[in-house]
Amino acid sequence: MIRHTLLAALSSLALVTPAVAAEAPAEIKLGALYASSGRFASISMPVHDGMMLWLEQKNAEGGVFVKVFNRKIPLKLIAYDDQSNTGTAATLYNQLITQDKVDILIADSGSVLTSVAVPIARDNKMLLIDQTGTGATFFTPDNPYIVLLDDPVSTIWPKPLADFLTQEGPKLGIKKVAMIYATNDFTGTQANAVRKFIKESNSGVELVYDQGVPTETSNYTVLINNIRATQPDAVIELGYAPNDIAFLRNLADSGVKFNFLFCIYPGLETDLLAKNVGAAGLNGVFTYVPSSEMSYESEFGMNLPQFKAAWNKAYGHGKVEFGFNSVAGYTTGLVLEKALATADSLDQLALRKAIFDLSGKLKTIDGTFELNAEGAQIGEITPLGQLAAEGEQIKFVTVWPFAVATGKPIYPAP
Amino acid sequence: MPRLLRHALFILVPLIAALAIAPAVYGNHLLLFNLIVFMTLAQGINIVYGFTGYLPFGYVGFFGAGAYGFSLAVMHLHASPFAALALGALAALLLGLGLTPLFRLSGAYFAIASLAAALAVLQIVSNPALEHITNGPYGVSLSGVFDPSLAYAVALAILAGTVLLVIWLRNARFGLALQAIREDAISAGMAGINVVRGRVIAWLLAALIAGLTGGVYAWYISVFYPETVFSGEVTVFAIVFALFGGTATILGPILGVAILYGIYNAIGISTPQYFQLVYGLLIMGLVLFLPNGLVSLLRRRGVDVP
Repeated sequence: MIRHTLLAALSSLALVTPAVAAEAPAEIKLGALYASSGRFASISMPVHDGMMLWLEQKNAEGGVFVKVFNRKIPLKLIAYDDQSNTGTAATLYNQLITQDKVDILIADSGSVLTSVAVPIARDNKMLLIDQTGTGATFFTPDNPYIVLLDDPVSTIWPKPLADFLTQEGPKLGIKKVAMIYATNDFTGTQANAVRKFIKESNSGVELVYDQGVPTETSNYTVLINNIRATQPDAVIELGYAPNDIAFLRNLADSGVKFNFLFCIYPGLETDLLAKNVGAAGLNGVFTYVPSSEMSYESEFGMNLPQFKAAWNKAYGHGKVEFGFNSVAGYTTGLVLEKALATADSLDQLALRKAIFDLSGKLKTIDGTFELNAEGAQIGEITPLGQLAAEGEQIKFVTVWPFAVATGKPIYPAP
Repeated sequence: MPRLLRHALFILVPLIAALAIAPAVYGNHLLLFNLIVFMTLAQGINIVYGFTGYLPFGYVGFFGAGAYGFSLAVMHLHASPFAALALGALAALLLGLGLTPLFRLSGAYFAIASLAAALAVLQIVSNPALEHITNGPYGVSLSGVFDPSLAYAVALAILAGTVLLVIWLRNARFGLALQAIREDAISAGMAGINVVRGRVIAWLLAALIAGLTGGVYAWYISVFYPETVFSGEVTVFAIVFALFGGTATILGPILGVAILYGIYNAIGISTPQYFQLVYGLLIMGLVLFLPNGLVSLLRRRGVDVP
């Protein structure tokens, strides 16, 4: 009996062992795009460099642990420069899948450059690792081949802002809100969400100015005067970094002052905005408090001070600013590392399942990783903060939600 | 053997056969699909510019109209892809009809006016106030009809139809009439050619081709923003490809796309930082030494290029 059992065990070992050894790859191939030039370079390069930091760190340790092969395997990154061009990006995504045959497909940063990858990944049955492409149209129940890792989907972003205005606003005397937004997927979807949140709140807060402008808008002087004419208590300006820079510069030049001004990028790319607008131009501005300022309790990977130190050591040249997007890129790596350590195979849907299994359980420097059923990120929220300039230094004061607040809002802003 | 049949047998059949087989040989299907799209658009430019002399910088307007016509039919009417394709083509035709007054202009004025018209259509489509109709600037998702294999086959059929049309124009009296209009509209009119009718028909044929191509493009990629299908780059590429090969010929635009789009992708993948430099030098070389395109190299040696 014992002899039979031993024989059976040995036979099964003989069948299984060579197969596993043969299948274990020498490296895990990651395919990614980045934009070194063009209008998305400022959001793409920090994400790419953040992921590179993770990758180099892991390779220095001998690779990442892959559960299915029960050992560490080095990572190989195949990365192409799409130069912010969607046509080039589409071809390169295909190149990564069909010619380079990558194991993991990682999208470039932002919704526009991610959008072309969505159908390509689906067509090729590759899971698209969407880093910061938050467009709501990407996530549909019939497409399992996408998952958003590092940013909340656009509809979630302005929730803390809208909650603050509708719950705390009336107590501070905020009743009339003006909103100007760039008409692109990222900011247009947020504008829709703000509109919806305010309408549903029945708080007495009303939108007295609601205007979309082309994303290419570079002069807001006339628009600022139009906004002032409506005498708003709070102004929300939603745009990409160049929009915010133009708006804040024009505002300083015009001498107009708003008691409450919210912009997105003073929080997300503070160094970039400070370079272009000056610390004084950011003083008192309300913005999102990104993960690069929040010091979330990280249960996996480096914490924020460690990551910042590693970033400065690797990229201290200052060409690519440290900020929210660099944390996003690093988070991509962490989620992949965790997924590879738990996935039952390298099959794309198994990888998806492993990533979904992390939902609500993984806490990184980007906050709590949480997905909805369609793969959109609904954790990693962005609290509301106010910037305070002390000389050339800019500090974040988180004001909402109360649970994470580090100070009280100053209204009217200085 | 009649010239028309000869051209169809020796140009159209091998071209379509090669592109039909290509997906089995080469895995980057989007690249092949884009090759078909640009070949079709370059032939559209060939019809309107090569045969009538009108250079429409805003040609992408028809492409975008076709893409959005297709998308709106799918989103609001729940039309089948083929019905949606027909509506996309209709949208481009209607836009073409609406723009016929532009023929009062010529040369650079016509080129700029058509570009302005395409930009106007883009602004209308991406206007947030029309979000409930076009989804405004937030793009469309047509995941319900997503079928890249069928869309590829249909794109190939559209290319076949377009090349056949150009073969016919190259060999028919109507094509000669258009070329006569291009050379001297007044003389052509004096010779009994209906100049206005000829120009309008060529314009609408080009619009129809771009509309169908835009529709099938929307079908294939299924998730896109207005800027993607109204990108000026689409027109620029189609014009450069057609001019590089040689207009008013059947082969010219095909050669232009095969060579330039091939180089575009080779550079884009290997050394994208040199893309603008290499392309710029190529275009300068074209303008300086081959203003009539590659086919002129053969024509100078007495070869009759179809």
